[in-house]
Amino acid sequence: MPFEVINKKVVRAQVSPATPVLARRGAMLGYEGAVSFRPVSGHGQGVGGIVGQALSGESNRTMATEGTGSVLYGFSGLYVTVIELNNDTLSCEADRLLAHDANLQSSVEFIGQGGIKAAVRGAMTGQGLFTTRLSGTGSVAVLSHGGTFDIPVRGDVVSVDPQAYVGHVGQVQVDLSAKVGWRDAVGRGSGEAFQLKFTGQGTVYVQASEQKF
Amino acid sequence: MQTYDAHSLPENDNVNSYAFSIALNGRWFVSKGAMIAYYGNVSFDAVTTWASRDAHIAGKFSSPIYIQDWVVAEGHGKVIVGDRGFDLQSFDLEDGNLTIRASNLVGFETGLELKQSIVPGFVTLIGTGKFLASSNGPVIFAEPPFRADPDALLGWADCPAPSHHYDAQWMSASLGSMLQGMFGRESGEERQFDFTGSGTILIQSTEVLREDPALMRIMEQQTALLSPQQAGLLGQRLVARSQQA
Amino acid sequence: MVTLTADRRVLHADLAGETIRAASGSMVAYTGTVDFKHAGMGGGGGFKAALKQKVSGESIKLMECTGSGRVTFAQDALDVTVIDLANDTLAVESELVLAVTAGLTLDVKFAGLQGMTSGQGLATTTLSGTGQVAVMSDGPLIALAVQPGGPLVVDPDAFVASTGNLTMNLVSGVSWKSLVGEGSGEPFSLRFEGSGTVFIQPAER
Repeated sequence: MPFEVINKKVVRAQVSPATPVLARRGAMLGYEGAVSFRPVSGHGQGVGGIVGQALSGESNRTMATEGTGSVLYGFSGLYVTVIELNNDTLSCEADRLLAHDANLQSSVEFIGQGGIKAAVRGAMTGQGLFTTRLSGTGSVAVLSHGGTFDIPVRGDVVSVDPQAYVGHVGQVQVDLSAKVGWRDAVGRGSGEAFQLKFTGQGTVYVQASEQKF
Repeated sequence: MQTYDAHSLPENDNVNSYAFSIALNGRWFVSKGAMIAYYGNVSFDAVTTWASRDAHIAGKFSSPIYIQDWVVAEGHGKVIVGDRGFDLQSFDLEDGNLTIRASNLVGFETGLELKQSIVPGFVTLIGTGKFLASSNGPVIFAEPPFRADPDALLGWADCPAPSHHYDAQWMSASLGSMLQGMFGRESGEERQFDFTGSGTILIQSTEVLREDPALMRIMEQQTALLSPQQAGLLGQRLVARSQQA
Repeated sequence: MVTLTADRRVLHADLAGETIRAASGSMVAYTGTVDFKHAGMGGGGGFKAALKQKVSGESIKLMECTGSGRVTFAQDALDVTVIDLANDTLAVESELVLAVTAGLTLDVKFAGLQGMTSGQGLATTTLSGTGQVAVMSDGPLIALAVQPGGPLVVDPDAFVASTGNLTMNLVSGVSWKSLVGEGSGEPFSLRFEGSGTVFIQPAER
């Protein structure tokens, strides 16, 4: 059952034994019915997943909502965007995930150049970012500062400030590019010396702010 | 873009989701700092100064803990109020009572009387009149039976005061695993306010953490229940906590 | 001509070879071929303006964006409003300028307020000429008219911009003192007289 958008900052999910919901801890605002909450440790399997979790600080932030009832989710006054996946894949940073259908498959990946070693280095230096991939069919609620707007990717390159990047859907390739002189031109944070370059077919979600929460 | 003047500004209605235009013709209680602009002849005086001017008005504000955070706006004109860019909504009470988080109450007509709720951090409005409440995101209304995260609770009307509900599964999961230590700080899932009976519950996206100056006054008042020895012990614990932070 | 389109909290600039100036670090996305270059403080106005900036503590960091394509700007999830100027002058809080089209001249003006200690920069940036300016505000901008005989009083923290023939005074009457205390409430407010428009935001900075 798709998440219901209550307002710009709150969604409602119908929970049943067949459709539990995974959500960020502390995101439950209120509920009706026989619903219970259980802390679970992060998602994702395999070595890459575990490394990713450790580096991205992603584990131990999740809880399962089980039972039968309806639950309101929201977090820290942040804006919420609901994305419906229909046999598709969404990538976004783990701490932007407010709630999602527990039946979606999840894994962790690193955006940047080359292998686990680069991922470790990237995580240390802030060059590149870890994202969670959610695949299948179901609802995902994503957090942003001030709401998201989407940019279609249709072959042409779309460049995005990593700090404003929220997530992307579809058959999209992502590259991290460092631009010489970029830091001088626009640099507020170190992250701005880099841009994310998107090509392929899909949608990129961007927020109207460079603040991370 | 519409340009407003003193006449075209709304009469006791929202200018946009975050600003409200009071058509002042008499007196309103207004939270300090809520005024963002006004036309007309309006004065703002501390509620405390009204004790000598008009005891009847001062008597409507029956909370020594919050009184210093409020002023009386008096005169004729249009007063625009806002609260940190939060959503602002007006409500009408008719011979009713409603309890609301004190830091989200922005203004109310003098036909209403304010009293401190026994739930810390909340106040109760009684009587007939309009009041303004700010919320993080638009207000969501719910009916009992309903359980709310204490941080997301904005207020309630007509139903009995809430009780605490502890999520047994959450408690056992967190106690029965290595996660134990991580739950020193509540996340909202282990404990909720449980509403029963009939009435209306008001929910907001969240209460953004900010220092409520009244909170310390409330806490301090509560410590009057402690014996001198207990008070000393509590003091030591608080000093230890502040040094850890 | 560059087209500036405000869409709630973002500004789209459709460039076809032109240059616009925008707040440094405010680009969140772009398509096409666009170059970004640091444009220095104030982006013009010369030595005199730079000196005034130093004195008033106002600074406005701009970058120049040149090329063809769509650039999207945003900052801190603030609302964006595009104001058209036709041979006119807008006084605006420097930190709230998101983008300026060519044809507008930037300068820093003293509001002439003595004894102001709050650090709120009411020595504003002025933009003169014909063109477009994108202004940011915490919540949607509200435009309030000032007419002769109908003065307007504004919380300095809510003030964003003004145009027209206005005089501004500080009001700090006895009654205002009662608003001071415990870090909230405003010790003074701004009183506008004359004829013009004042833009305010529904939040205190």
